[in-house]
Formats: sequence, C-alpha cells, structure tokens
Amino acid sequence: MKTTDTSHIRNFSIIAHIDHGKSTISDRILELTHTVEERDLESQMLDSMDIERERGITIKSNAVRVTYTADDGQDYDFNLIDTPGHVDFTYEVSRSLAACEGAVLVVDATQGVEAQTVSNANLAMNADLDIVPAINKIDLPSAHPEEVKREIEEELAIPAEDSVLVSGKTGEGIHDLLEAIVYLVSPPSGDADAPLKALILDSYFDEYRGIIATVRVFDGQIRPGARLRMMALGDTFLCDGVGVKRPLETPVDVLGVGEVGYVVTGLKEPGLVKTGDTITEDERPCAEACPGYHEAKPMVFTGLFPIDNKQYENLRDALEKLHVNDPSLTWEPETSVALGFGFRVGFLGLLHMEVVKERLEREFSLDLIATSPSVNYHVYCTDGTMLQITSPQDLPDVTRIDHIEEPYLKAKVIVPPDFMGAVMQLVVDHRGETKDMVYLSERSVEMHFDIPLAELILDFFDQLKSRTKGYASLDYEFSDYRTSDLVRLDILLAGEEVDALSFIVHRDKAYDMARGLCDKLKEIIPQQLFEVPIQGAIGNKIISRSTVRARRKDVLAKCYGGDISRKRKLLEKQKEGKKRMKSIGRVEVPQEAFLAVLKVDDD
Amino acid sequence: MVPEEATGAFVPAWDRARYHLEGVGSLYVHVPFCRSKCAYCDFASGATRADDPLPAAYARAIARQLREVEETGLFEPCRTGYLGGGTPSLLGAALPPLVRAVAPHAPTELSFEANPDSLSPDLLERVREAGATRVSIGVQSTSASELVALGRIHGPERALEALREAVTSGLRVSCDLMCAIPRQTGASWERSLRNVLASGVSHVSVYPLAIEEGTAFWRRYGEEEPEFNASDVQADRMEAAEATLTRSGLRRYEVASYAVPGQECLHNVSYWTGTPYLGFGTSAASMLTREGYLALRGVAPQLPAPGDDVARARVTVMSTARQIVADPALGSLRLSVEFLDLRQAVAEDLMLSARLAAGIPGGLLGLAREAAPASQVDAVVSRACDEGLATLEGGRLVPTHSGWLMGNELYGELWGLAEGTIDTRTC
Repeated sequence: MKTTDTSHIRNFSIIAHIDHGKSTISDRILELTHTVEERDLESQMLDSMDIERERGITIKSNAVRVTYTADDGQDYDFNLIDTPGHVDFTYEVSRSLAACEGAVLVVDATQGVEAQTVSNANLAMNADLDIVPAINKIDLPSAHPEEVKREIEEELAIPAEDSVLVSGKTGEGIHDLLEAIVYLVSPPSGDADAPLKALILDSYFDEYRGIIATVRVFDGQIRPGARLRMMALGDTFLCDGVGVKRPLETPVDVLGVGEVGYVVTGLKEPGLVKTGDTITEDERPCAEACPGYHEAKPMVFTGLFPIDNKQYENLRDALEKLHVNDPSLTWEPETSVALGFGFRVGFLGLLHMEVVKERLEREFSLDLIATSPSVNYHVYCTDGTMLQITSPQDLPDVTRIDHIEEPYLKAKVIVPPDFMGAVMQLVVDHRGETKDMVYLSERSVEMHFDIPLAELILDFFDQLKSRTKGYASLDYEFSDYRTSDLVRLDILLAGEEVDALSFIVHRDKAYDMARGLCDKLKEIIPQQLFEVPIQGAIGNKIISRSTVRARRKDVLAKCYGGDISRKRKLLEKQKEGKKRMKSIGRVEVPQEAFLAVLKVDDD
Repeated sequence: MVPEEATGAFVPAWDRARYHLEGVGSLYVHVPFCRSKCAYCDFASGATRADDPLPAAYARAIARQLREVEETGLFEPCRTGYLGGGTPSLLGAALPPLVRAVAPHAPTELSFEANPDSLSPDLLERVREAGATRVSIGVQSTSASELVALGRIHGPERALEALREAVTSGLRVSCDLMCAIPRQTGASWERSLRNVLASGVSHVSVYPLAIEEGTAFWRRYGEEEPEFNASDVQADRMEAAEATLTRSGLRRYEVASYAVPGQECLHNVSYWTGTPYLGFGTSAASMLTREGYLALRGVAPQLPAPGDDVARARVTVMSTARQIVADPALGSLRLSVEFLDLRQAVAEDLMLSARLAAGIPGGLLGLAREAAPASQVDAVVSRACDEGLATLEGGRLVPTHSGWLMGNELYGELWGLAEGTIDTRTC
C-alpha cells in the first residue's frame, strides 16, 4: 500500500446546538488563517445563503480549506466542514462527520449542554471522531465555563480537561483552538494507489458547469478527465475539474487521499448527485462504497400553490433549480379545486419547509400559498391494499378504510427539572407518551417520549419553547408506524368545501380543532361584501361554525383637492393587500388562512 | 344628479380637450389657523393666539400670490372659489380683503369656512359685501357632550345661533356634521341632523369620524377600532343621515354631500369632475393640465420640466405659513409635484366621478376606453355592476346604495385602470 503524506491535513467539523456560535467561530478561523482578509469578511462567511445569514442558521454543508501556520512553524491544511445545526438535517450532519477525523464541539458558556449538543456529540462519537470541546461566548458576563466543563464530562462523557475557552465574538482563544486541532485531531490515512473512493458531502448547482459535488477522498485520487461513477445511483461522468475552496473555488491538479474539495461533474439533471453517495472510477471501481448512504426521506409534506396560476410553470422550474442544491426535496403535482395546480412537496422537517418556501418566494419572485403540513399516512383499505397518503385530499372514503397508521417519533427533550411537569402536560396534549427520564445533572433532565409526528409538526416546538421559557431543547428521530383513530376535518367557506383547508386529525381532537380553526379563520379572513359562514365538518356532519360578518362600509367620506393623492395611495395599498389573497368562489382568502391550523391555540 | 349645464360652473365637456385646458375652473385658499386643535383633526392647521399678527400677514401674502398668477392668464375661465382651513373666519378683519382678492375669479360661487365661535353677523355682512356667496360652518354635532369629546370650543346653542345668523345674512349656508364619534347614539345623531335642518341650511355634509395618525384620537385609540367608530356604526349613521336629509328635501349628490337641488357646492363638484384648479397657501393642492402647468412654471420656475407623456400635474405647497409670509413670491415656494400620464389622469377622474350621484358620464367612460384597453374598462364596469356597486343608467355608471357605503371597492377598481407609478418630485 502506497501512502501519501497526510500528516499535515486535518479534517474537522464544528458541531453545536443551534445559536451556540458555530458560524461565528468558523468566521474567526477564516480570519486568523488569513483565508479571508478582514475587510472582505462578511459576518458568517460560510453561510452563503441570505436566509442562512438572516436567521443565523446553517442549512447547507460547506467545506473550506484554510492553511494554518502552527506554533511548531509548520503549515497545516485544515478542511473545515461546516454542518447544519438543526434536527431536520441530521442525515446531512452524519455525512459531513463521516468525512472528518475530528470535531470541534462548541458549547455555549451561558447555556451549557443542550439537546442537540448531546445528539451531535453522539453522532461524532459514533463516527469515531477526535473531539475538541470548545466553550464559547466566554466574553459574556453570564458565562460559567467551569460548570459547562462539568456538564460536558458528566452529560456527554467527554474528557473536558482539553476544553478550549473561546469567544467567537472577540476572537479570544481561537489561536489555542487551532493549536488544539493540530495536536488532538488525527491526520487522515488511506491508500493512494487503491481505486478511488470519495464520499459526497453535499452538492450545488452551477448554471454553466452543472452539479458540483463536495467530496472527501478516502482512497485513490481524482484528476480532471477521469471517467467516474456514482456507486449508488450508477451514473457515470467525465470529471470536469477539481479544486478546493479558500473559500472561493481554487482549481487544483489532483485531489488525493485525505483531501476535501470539489468535483465538477458536468451532470445537469438534478437528483443524480446525492449526499452520502460514493464516487469511484468507472473502469476500476472500489470494492465497497462508503457506508451509511440512504436516501433522505421527507417527513413533512405540504401543498405549495402559486397564488397566480400563471406561475405554475415557474414554480416547477424553481423547485427543479432548488432540487439540484437540495436533493432531499421531493414533489409531485397536486391539484386543488380551491387553489388550482400546485405541488405536494416533501421536506425533511418544518424548518426545511419554511426555508424552502422562503427561498422560492424570494429568489424566484413567486407568491405562494402553503397548505397545512401533513405526514405520510399508511391507509389500510378493506380490500387489503395499503395506500400511502401525504395529502388529506387523497384519503379514501371512510367506508373503504379499515384502519390508518401514522408515523411516530422517539423524541428527546432536555429541560431544567422545574419544567418537567409542563413538558409532560404538553406531551399528553399532543397525544404523546412519556417513556422515561434521566437526570443528566442537577440542573437538567433528559425526557424521552413517543409522539406522533403529525402532532410535532403543528405547534409543538413553539409551545415547548414558550412553556419552558425557552430552556427546553428538542431532538427526535423516526420510530415506527402505529394505528390511530384519524379522521379528515373539512372546512366549508360560504357553504363550499375548500379542499386546501382540509386536514387529518385524531378523532378525539377533532371537535376542539374544528372550533379553534373556525374561530381562527374568522380572525384571518377579512370582511367581504357579503356574510361568510365558516364551517368545520367531518363527513357530512357540521361540527363547528363561525361567521365573518359582511363589511358594510368602506369609503373615505372626505375627498377634496388636497385629499386626492392620499386617497389614491390608500386604494393602492388596499389593492396590494388583495393581490396577496386567493379568491375562492367569491371569498377573498389571505395566504395565512391556509396555515391557520398551525396557529390554533389548543387552550 | 348635478345638471352640469344648469350649474353655471365651469365644467367643460368630457372630451380630450378637457385634458388640454390651460386655465383653471376654480381656486382654493388654505387658511391654516385655528383657535385650538380639535382631537380628530389632521389638516394643516395650528392653534393661533388671538393677537398673533401672522394670520393677517398670511392673508396679505396670499393676495399677493393671487396677483402674481393673474399675469399668467390661468384664472381666465375660473368661476368658483373656496377659502378653507383651518378656520378662515378666525382671520376676522383680515378676511374681507382676502375674499375681495379672490372674488374677481369666483363670479359664480365663493365659499368660506367658518366656526361658530369666530362668526358674527357683522363679519357675515362684511364678507358677503366683499363677494362671498356661501358659508360652510363646522358644527359637527349639536350635543354638548359630543362637542366636548371632539375638542370643539363651541357649544350647541352658539352653533345653531351661528347657522341662523348665516341663513339670515343671505348667504347660502352649509354645515358639517360628524358621525360615529364618542358618546354619540343613534338618537343624538338624529337630533343633530334635525337641529341643523331646522335652522334653514340648504346644504349638509356628513362625515364619519376617521381616526387619523398624528391626531389626539390616534394617540388615544391607536389602530384599534373603538366601538363608537365601528364600521357598522358608521354605516348605520350614514344610512340614517340619508333618510333624514332626503325626507327634508335635500338630495345626496356626493358620498358625503347633501343639498337642496340647485344649492350644491359647485367648487367641490369641480374636484370630482376633472376640472383644473389652483390652490394657494400651505398644504393647498393645484391640479393642472400639462398646458396649465407650463403656464404656472412661468411664474414658479423652480417647478421641474414635465416629461413628454405628462398629461396632468398636481402641485402641493410644502412651505409653512411663516415661510410664505417671509417670502410670498411663487418662485420661492417649496412645492411637491405629481406627474400623471393621460391614462392615470383618466383613471383618477373615473375614481372621483364615481363619488357623485350623477356617476361617471358616458363621455368619460368613452375616454377611458381610449386611454386604457377598452376590454379592461368594460371588465371593470361589468364587475362593478355584478357586485352590485353600480348600475348603468343611460350610458352613465351610477353608484348604488352599496356603491355609496362600499365606495372604496368601486374606486379601487377604477383607479386600478391606471398603470405604472406616479412620478413625484419636490422642488
């Protein structure tokens, strides 16, 4: 076996609970290694999407190479792999970690260990990574690093004596962190002569060059001109170029063992390059692919409809464009009587859904209506067949249904003991069942419970945050399918059933939901020229009702010479407001009405 | 319906020539002084002490500006004038000279606004002699407690006395009433309507209270809709007013305006019928055709040159009263200008004409079908009819009862026929 010198390469991720300062620390590393000159440094350099920067979250993985001259006088190539911090993107995180030998585990010195700190640390340990704990935000007066060190040892079972105290904000301790990475993270190893084996961490689309994959080379090497193959999906392509990001794309001649960089595939069809797949040589494939690949399965489904039906084609093109950067997105056409033509789109989770919708509206100038999020139900019919249903409209007639199964999650909440009661109540309210709880330390309890995914995607997270004053953190994974007594709740506006407002709900909660939804819709739907009754129904049975009374007067009585401009502007503002509404029959319905189910207070 | 030909006002025919008239049909003077600021008022006005020399100096400055415009010939076809406020009657001895300066350009009708407390038989007589033909008195209510709530400084007795004095003076008399105000009931509203009718006025304007930003009411109620001002209450009051005023022989000729036939305010009608006008004084607006605007630029060279497609300009005076007094020259005024193209001008006229009982004349609808795609105009007309907001009567599009109450629906559709943004400049 021929080895190349990889002793000066360090591949690591920075992992953290959301808001613990991962991206800020990345920025400081780029600055300190002069990868980005200070004057060019946009805050949160690695988060390249507007939405990432605005919300302070990372959605896409990103790999940047920096060169660090260590105190021993030697230059080290660091491949810094930034990973998403949200539970929706656990699979992406796991693939990024598989590309690393080490992980910097960032813990907020004021918040301590939280749910995703635990999950991410577990992922890192399962991936056998060398962990460098970094306690961040030590510049804050409320920082208590000694206590956080104890938590890291007690709750994560990670030795904390090597913890580095840092401040992403002031830059304090970043140099120490870089030194710790040199000494604590192992260099990569691999066989340079073996057939190519490279893991795809992520991909993005370039209009001229096609899909560009971010990869980690385990064995062999990648040179431009080589004919390569995707092992799981089977497609072959001619490598059109390789390089590294510093953070701008910098072409290189070859990507060798242990290196992280990008590969220009030239492939233009979305879906051909998937995170977790392995790239190898077409003529001489490697014996085994990198382990752990699976298709990211969408968990949450929603209908996306353009307000203006003329934008349907644009929406499809936009979804296709996003898909090349976000292969986890799935969609199929959906038709609604109320909303016309649209798509049923599958997402990894609610945050993913919000981000995608926002990107579609912002980057593609679309005005969209999103309908209530749904999950994938298994409907067992009396004739013995099983239907997978992600849209309430597809639910067959009750007489054809034998039973329905819905996906359950295993969820984990870490919370101070004071809030245990509140969380248990919330879990019960959402049809969940608390399984057990473990004291991690005297100030935090880890609670485990089973809960239907459909409940979690409504208002669970918001309520959890508000009932625990923001202290609780949540993590979950898919568990299994279980039988539930589910019914479809329909909503009628002015006597007409509006299919896009239907949703599937547990029978026990149907009455409360119907009443809550009718009241909420009454608040959301503006007064019209005529009275609009709102009714909730199961089958043919009306179970709740509210009424939007007719608007009787809307006229500015005074309109003389000096008032005309103002009057005109008022009318324009009204018109702008109307544009954001959808006409259903004669009723003008605002966008947010279709997500009203997320805003129904259950108390 | 206002029989245009019978009014004597300068209301040109609805054809393209209207959009090229050089002169104006009416003239407005804004008098921004009041004894105290009312709780609902968002007009350009301010509380002024009785011994403040500013109002008289302001009246002289405006008179000077009128003389400056006379040289342009813009006043040539002018027939009506209006002194509004603020409180023009507060000018006292300075009012008759100002009226005299306006009178030559208002041979058909010359109105001034007055408050009961600053009006007297003597002032009425002197203003009438100076050339005024009409007075509009801000009564608002004849309930003492409602007047207090509005922040008015007069009581109901003085208000009704002032109306009777005005009727006796021989002027045509109008009065303003306000509904959906604090403490008002259906019965008290009815009493206010009957009381002012009993005083012999021939014109009544009724306004639901609008809680505007920057007013004391806004600070008190903010954006919440107080019960007394709910849109249902407003609708009830407007309907009650229509019934009571109509029974007494007045006719509604505009959303908020009722008059004994022949006593309509011609000046106001000119605003709603696309007739060009000139406004003087702080916050006053002028509406001019391209040709009129170019003539005004002769004396106000700070005005920007209009682009090729400009058909109409609306010029608003941004200078304060004090600045106008310090330098009344038209060339020194700070102004804001809106430029409208023909399609926008026509859409604006559609929107304004729909406020009138007479509705939108066939001639204007015809022009609209030339200025905007005919199919779009037809679609708007048929939608308005379908929704019960208007009906077609002898070629006119006339608002229905619901078209009165839900006017913004109708006006919004009509203004929607305009395209593009309006070019706004300040100079």
